[in-house]
Amino acid sequence: MDPNRTALLQGTLDLLILKAIGSAEFHGLGISRRIEQITHGAFHVKPGSLFPALHRMEEAGWLSSAWGESENNRRARFYRLTKAGHRQLGEETAQWNRVALAIASALKAT
Amino acid sequence: MALIARIRAAFRNLFRRSEVEARLDAEVRSYADLLTDEKIAAGLAPAEARRRALAESGGLEQIRQSVRDRRAGATLDNLTQDLRYALRQLRRSPSLTSLAILTLAIGIGANTAIFSFVNAVLLRPLPYPDPDRLVSVWSGLGYSGRAPFSSFELFEVRRRTTQFDQLAGIWVTNGALPGDGPAEQIKVADVTSNFLQLLCIRPALGRFFGPGDDLPNAPNTIILTHGVWARRFGSDPSIIGRSVRYGRYRATVIGVLPASFRLIFPDDSSIPATVEVFESVPVVPGADPQGPAFLRVIGRLRNGAIAATAQAEMNRAAVEINQLGGRASMGNFTLSVLPFQADTVRDIRPTLLCLAGGVAFVLLIGCANIANLLMARARQRLRETTIRAALGASRARLARQFLTESVLLGILGGLCALALGYAAIHAILAARPPSFSNFTHVPLDAPVLAFTFLVALATSVLFSLAPMLSVRRVDLTRDLKESTRQAGFRRGRWTSALVSAEVALAFVLLLATGLLMRTFVNILHADPGFRPANVFTFRVSTPGYAPIHLIQQKLASLPGVESASAISHLPLDNAGNWYDYYWKEGASLAEQTSVMADHRSTLPGYFAAIGATLLEGRDFTDSDDAQHQHVAIIDDVLARQLWPGQDPLGQKINLSDSPKGFYQFQRDWAVVIGVVHHVQYHSLTAIVRPQIYVPYPLAPRPSMSFVVHTASGAASLAAPVRAIVDSVNRDMPITHVEPMQLLVDRAHAESRFASLLATLLSTIALVLACIGIYGVLSYSVAQRTAEIGIRMAIGAPRTQVLRMILADGFAWVLPGLLAGFVLSLLIAPLLTGLLFGVAPGNPLNYALIFVLVLAVSALAAFIPARRAASIDPLIALRYE
Repeated sequence: MDPNRTALLQGTLDLLILKAIGSAEFHGLGISRRIEQITHGAFHVKPGSLFPALHRMEEAGWLSSAWGESENNRRARFYRLTKAGHRQLGEETAQWNRVALAIASALKAT
Repeated sequence: MALIARIRAAFRNLFRRSEVEARLDAEVRSYADLLTDEKIAAGLAPAEARRRALAESGGLEQIRQSVRDRRAGATLDNLTQDLRYALRQLRRSPSLTSLAILTLAIGIGANTAIFSFVNAVLLRPLPYPDPDRLVSVWSGLGYSGRAPFSSFELFEVRRRTTQFDQLAGIWVTNGALPGDGPAEQIKVADVTSNFLQLLCIRPALGRFFGPGDDLPNAPNTIILTHGVWARRFGSDPSIIGRSVRYGRYRATVIGVLPASFRLIFPDDSSIPATVEVFESVPVVPGADPQGPAFLRVIGRLRNGAIAATAQAEMNRAAVEINQLGGRASMGNFTLSVLPFQADTVRDIRPTLLCLAGGVAFVLLIGCANIANLLMARARQRLRETTIRAALGASRARLARQFLTESVLLGILGGLCALALGYAAIHAILAARPPSFSNFTHVPLDAPVLAFTFLVALATSVLFSLAPMLSVRRVDLTRDLKESTRQAGFRRGRWTSALVSAEVALAFVLLLATGLLMRTFVNILHADPGFRPANVFTFRVSTPGYAPIHLIQQKLASLPGVESASAISHLPLDNAGNWYDYYWKEGASLAEQTSVMADHRSTLPGYFAAIGATLLEGRDFTDSDDAQHQHVAIIDDVLARQLWPGQDPLGQKINLSDSPKGFYQFQRDWAVVIGVVHHVQYHSLTAIVRPQIYVPYPLAPRPSMSFVVHTASGAASLAAPVRAIVDSVNRDMPITHVEPMQLLVDRAHAESRFASLLATLLSTIALVLACIGIYGVLSYSVAQRTAEIGIRMAIGAPRTQVLRMILADGFAWVLPGLLAGFVLSLLIAPLLTGLLFGVAPGNPLNYALIFVLVLAVSALAAFIPARRAASIDPLIALRYE
């Protein structure tokens, strides 16, 4: 994997996943596609990064998952945000905005 | 909350693995299916869609593994997996594993044992209150800088110093065991009334001595050690205040010391740890300025006092005491203050540090061997390693695997080492070299356990470096293509450097051993000035001249006895010593305090009995007593010091004798009637002081040692001797019935111990280094079988092959020898203090060790070389 891209993903992957799922329910491939869609193709999350993150976030209690049927009748594991997950999304969004604002003003400074 | 959730998850991951795995597997499969469906929907053929989906996802097993690596409890999970795998690897090659563990057990065990002593002796504070404020104080006069004090001097020093809470003195002599029961001679300490408080917080029973015990008419009081109290008085708590029989007197027991109390003094202070009874000696105004110097002085610095300030104050005191007209009046009286702990270990310290260096060398050599073994195995396992890498194991994970294996080896080795170290400690304590005799308690305590653990860990990290480096170079495509047997065989610079290092370390160890063995042989052959063969000795406590004279006469008439006599101090015995200043007639004040000699009280016939050589003049006779002219016999060393180039016979010498009774010393003139060859009284290797002999009636002593020279092959005289002593006086204790040879052997013990241990260590080192050379060379031959086969097939003669492999071996050995030589130039001089009669740079020793290492290395290299030369080219090539 491109190391630059990894570095970029490191801090933001959790936030992207939480945001991508939002109030809906997605399986792994669905989350991957949704991230591509909402970032206009800037991020392509590979399964080797996605699944460890999903499992880790579920272990942390932010996501819950259950088996279900996909749109083309395949058995798939669907993820949704727990109450803690929604709270986490709020926190990480606020945090991200602070960082983004700070970086932006730093870059604007002369 | 998140933490609790993660812990719960970790438990599920660890204990319900199959469930968790099944879910992960299904999920990853479903992902691949969904991706395939997506590609089919985009218009690809099903097979092509499947292939692309798998390629895009980067491998299903890799996904599963990355989830496993990241999930809660993964570290622990990986560790158990690594451990299980490591155990399997170790079990798979039992010979390698047991060789490695054995090497480690020996290497670490030796370090554990020696560190236990370093810890107990050098690192642990002395078992006294405020040990860091304790100092020993030595007086210096003439050529001795470590001399004792007289009562007068201690009193004057106390008056003139402010930096000390206390200054106390001790002198040890022989005395009688207190209490009723069989008479027994023991070590008794005369101490100033403030002495015990310095080394002990409070007595187990009763009290310490106090100022009241210094009063002129104070009753006789004694303090018992816990040991005497238990064995003589049955641990009777009502002993305090009771008057008990004490030799020819009675004394009141005022205190019992705690069981943990130990007397630890420098070896050269003549204060043995075996003291059993303490009596007080007053240090009061009015002592004789010319009085004998006998007190060893220790002090406790005032809280906050600085050693340098205390020393400066002592220097001023010494100058003032010089002017008081005592024995110190010659102007070179000095006082030195030394930290007590450092002072007590000054004899054992160099031995211990040398041993610590030696065992560290052995461990390093062992470490190099194990590194070589593991590296060779890592090469054999290269294909397996490569496959694991191809299946998704990260390099870090592979390196961790090697580290786990090494640490597992290290810990197993460390456990065996603890057992071995424990045994070694007890073996060393049983051998009891004299300089260790003060240290009887050497536990495997927390610092030692921590040390062993750390050494095991550090060693395993050290020897796992080599195989770990080999993983770094794993190249999937190349390594998978190469055949297993040839895979990764590159003759590593590492391997040869390791073997060279082993040879260098072994060379230095062997060199040191050579020096210590030469020292031991020199000591064995050192002339003690007497002949111990067929001489046996025993000690008696005596009330005076008549009984010992009678015993001497009765002994001489025993069949098989050639001569019998008695002396106050046997050679090489650690009994409380007595020495003083001596001068010739007309000596200036400076000369009066420049020559010191050991004072010996004897009966006639002593020199014949012990086999000393009377160089000129005559021996004492029974008529040499206080009523006739006072006479003395001196040794040749004293004769040279007092009358260089002159005949000492008939000269007058000033000495302190005590014709009026025990210890009632007075200065007196005596005529020199004989000169004997110097007898080694203190050690076999150094002339500590010359000796002067005085007839017993001039210098009566309460304790004398008999010396009985028997015809060779005479039966044991223990029973008749006891009968004789009993017939003279039933109350005379008789102890230490032992052959003179035993005292000589005891004096050899230190050097025997050092050379034995060094021999053991360097033998292990040499064997390990040989295993190293042999192992690496054998491996190289096995790897090069095909190459050698080809060489022979195209006409290389066997001798050339033999030479080639031998040259390979020597390409490692020679640089090692060179490095060892350079290293030894730095290290050998550190041994100087332990050597006798041989210089660290002794060329013969260098030559011998050089040849030895070369010969043994040649042997270790020859076996694989011959195997190489006997390779049948046909078989070798077919095998390929």
